[in-house]
Amino acid sequence: MIELSQLFFYLFAAMVLGVGLIVAFSKNLLRSAFALFFVLFGVAGLYVLLGGDFIAIVQILVYAGGVNVLLIFGTMLTADVSNPAKSNLSFQGILTALAAIGFFIVVYGIISSTNWGVITPAPMESTTRNLGILLLQDYVLPFEVISFLLLSAMIGALVLVIKGDQK
Amino acid sequence: MSLEGYLAVSAALFTLGIVMYVSRKNSIAILMGVELILNAAALNFVAFSRFTPSKVSQLDGQVFAIFIILMAAAEAVVALAIALSVYKEFKQIGADKLSTLKG
Repeated sequence: MIELSQLFFYLFAAMVLGVGLIVAFSKNLLRSAFALFFVLFGVAGLYVLLGGDFIAIVQILVYAGGVNVLLIFGTMLTADVSNPAKSNLSFQGILTALAAIGFFIVVYGIISSTNWGVITPAPMESTTRNLGILLLQDYVLPFEVISFLLLSAMIGALVLVIKGDQK
Repeated sequence: MSLEGYLAVSAALFTLGIVMYVSRKNSIAILMGVELILNAAALNFVAFSRFTPSKVSQLDGQVFAIFIILMAAAEAVVALAIALSVYKEFKQIGADKLSTLKG
């Protein structure tokens, strides 16, 4: 008898890896960008299975709603999407695939041979309140630093794009 | 599901990101590879915070995953601004063709 959470784990893992293969190997860059949506949703599902409800929502809002839309716009503004053969070449495909398979085998060997000292997980509960307390007490300095980083990234992006127009 | 399962999914995602990062010529595709790698790292943090939590706080890994997501957003914004400026200047963004700075 297979547990329901195990079933969902296999479902989300297959979604992440199957669609991830499309992202990595599709000839059409726009197709890669749209497939990335489903990878991000699959990772959000894995977060839910790991008891991170807040972070799953953040993943969907920020990654799928923000970063990925930005990537799709960037693709359509720069690449010649109607001619994928010209805009999305890759090189040394077979050598890269072989090296990647070797890399994965090594990493998986290390993962399965290490004793991680796993303890029985505590029952899941809502994390939003505790995360908020952590962010505003223990991690308040990194929180401020990351806010400043976001602000400077925003201003930097504006400066980079506007400077090109004024010539 | 055990910790090893999540780590294996994360390692496979990381490998796909590396493949994309190494073998693609388009700068935006390279950026997508970086996003895959960052997702794999965040997944590792959340998995470890569930299965091997620290004594002080159970949620340290999730806080780090939030920081990773925010940093990925900042990085994507700046990288896309650079890609747009480069496209205005050179009319293409192939990583192998942008060799003006090469001596």
